[in-house]
Amino acid sequence: MTTPTTDTSVRAIEAQGLTRRFKDTIALDDVTLNFEKDKIHGLLGRNGAGKTTLMSVMTAQDWPTSGSVRVFGQVPHENEQILPNICFVREEQRYPEDALAKHAFRAAREAFENWDEGFAQQLIEEFRVPKKTTIKKMSRGQKSAVGVIIGLASRAPLTVFDEPYMGLDAVARQLFYDRLLQDYSEHPRTVVVSSHLIDEISHLLEHVVVIDQGKIMVDESAEELAERAVTVVGRADSVAQVVGAREVLDREDLGRIARVTVLGKLNATERCLVNELDLDLIPVSLQQLIVHLTRKNGQTNTASEGF
Amino acid sequence: MTTTTPQPTLPHRSSFARVPAVFRLQFAVRYSFIWLPMFIFALAWVLGIGIGFFIDSQMPDRIPAEDPIFSTGAAQATIWYLAFMAAYTASHTFPFSLALSYSRRVYVIGTYLAFVVVAAGYGVATMLAYYIERVTEGFGRHIYVFGPPSFENLGGGFGIGMFAAVIVLFFMCFGFFWAILYRRVTIPILWTVIIGVIVAILGTVVVITLNDWWPNIGQWLTNQNAFTLAGWGFLAVILLGAVNYLLIRKATAG
Repeated sequence: MTTPTTDTSVRAIEAQGLTRRFKDTIALDDVTLNFEKDKIHGLLGRNGAGKTTLMSVMTAQDWPTSGSVRVFGQVPHENEQILPNICFVREEQRYPEDALAKHAFRAAREAFENWDEGFAQQLIEEFRVPKKTTIKKMSRGQKSAVGVIIGLASRAPLTVFDEPYMGLDAVARQLFYDRLLQDYSEHPRTVVVSSHLIDEISHLLEHVVVIDQGKIMVDESAEELAERAVTVVGRADSVAQVVGAREVLDREDLGRIARVTVLGKLNATERCLVNELDLDLIPVSLQQLIVHLTRKNGQTNTASEGF
Repeated sequence: MTTTTPQPTLPHRSSFARVPAVFRLQFAVRYSFIWLPMFIFALAWVLGIGIGFFIDSQMPDRIPAEDPIFSTGAAQATIWYLAFMAAYTASHTFPFSLALSYSRRVYVIGTYLAFVVVAAGYGVATMLAYYIERVTEGFGRHIYVFGPPSFENLGGGFGIGMFAAVIVLFFMCFGFFWAILYRRVTIPILWTVIIGVIVAILGTVVVITLNDWWPNIGQWLTNQNAFTLAGWGFLAVILLGAVNYLLIRKATAG
């Protein structure tokens, strides 16, 4: 877990014991976590894990059953002092009946004071948003593009993207990642991106939250998380010497060469051993690690394509 | 392009500062609440009068001044359309307003203001239509949609216009109510409410009939004019508007 920062001025979002219950299901189960300001946070988890519910409650689009949430130090619900600083376009966002993309963008320009019209126009060109098609008749990807553009051009101090790449082709997805990083570096702000395509967004993330069955499984900086496991490659017997009794996440044998991913950081002695035995250390993929961590938690031992 | 970091603007601002933006949001798609209702109003009027002229042509012995033709039903078309559009703003524009991070309160106020303006527009159109029909004596053939001679005693053009505006406002709130209720509750509860409303209406009718109160009600109605009816209608609008706000406060986009 991240060391809790005591200074509230660095926190964008503080959630305390957040629970959201729908009839028979518990979408959020006593969630306590913080999102620091001016960072890109990843909210990862399987379908139905509670990602969208958490995002909805944090952005005041939904109400918690119990617990509290604060955004920039205040309760965001029905709070016009805080709400103009938040932008959350949902994955299945609805738009006014018969609206064209330009109607949605014009409305967003009026709602968000940091809105950058030049940036919006550039993105409209780059994502090739159709001008004369009503949003409801657009393809999945085109709809996603409209949402992504509103999220980026609004420059809201807290911007939330819920699986923003749905339906986008590889080129458009890359465009989104590029523009997000580029604009974020020029105008740092708090960004939360949910995803189940972990490896695709892992390079963006500074902080990773993994949610499963409404509970927080991981809440760490991307760096810390990456250090939780390591992949050792080399002669099988040498590899075995280094990894010892560690928990193995993944193992591949190619003749006498082994490629083993294990949980736990290597200590100094082991690192020396790695050098002596002429082994290679490869950083583990976030996806692999998270699949493992959530699988360990759940009774749901299904394969990794759940992510 | 600015180069400043977007920081949360926490200095105090009016909590109603974005009401005008929501008002304009309702008119983002111009034709939904402006051009199409005007077109439907004109079309329904033309059709109503046209039907009147058709009937007139089938009655060669008719003396127009003694036997006026009323096709006031055509006046309803715009009301139904606007009730549906009000429902659409609850089902579609409301979730979008959440994405734009408007509070429910600001959304409801801006939306009601838009409804009031649309209803007032309908009222003005009705008043104009009323005067056109009065002045031309039902297009020279005593054929009326908005301006039957009897309306003169009810309050004249202004009274009729005001009554029409309140009726439209009520039905817009009514359309909005069902759409937002649908968002809030499950289908069985929705049906319970629908059946409850029907039972309440039938129950009232039964109670009135059993107690033989119909003459009293008839008397009460004849004592009303367009202004007092508009007043009662407005009371209903206020009540329904409050119910709508309570419903939308906890409504979600999901």
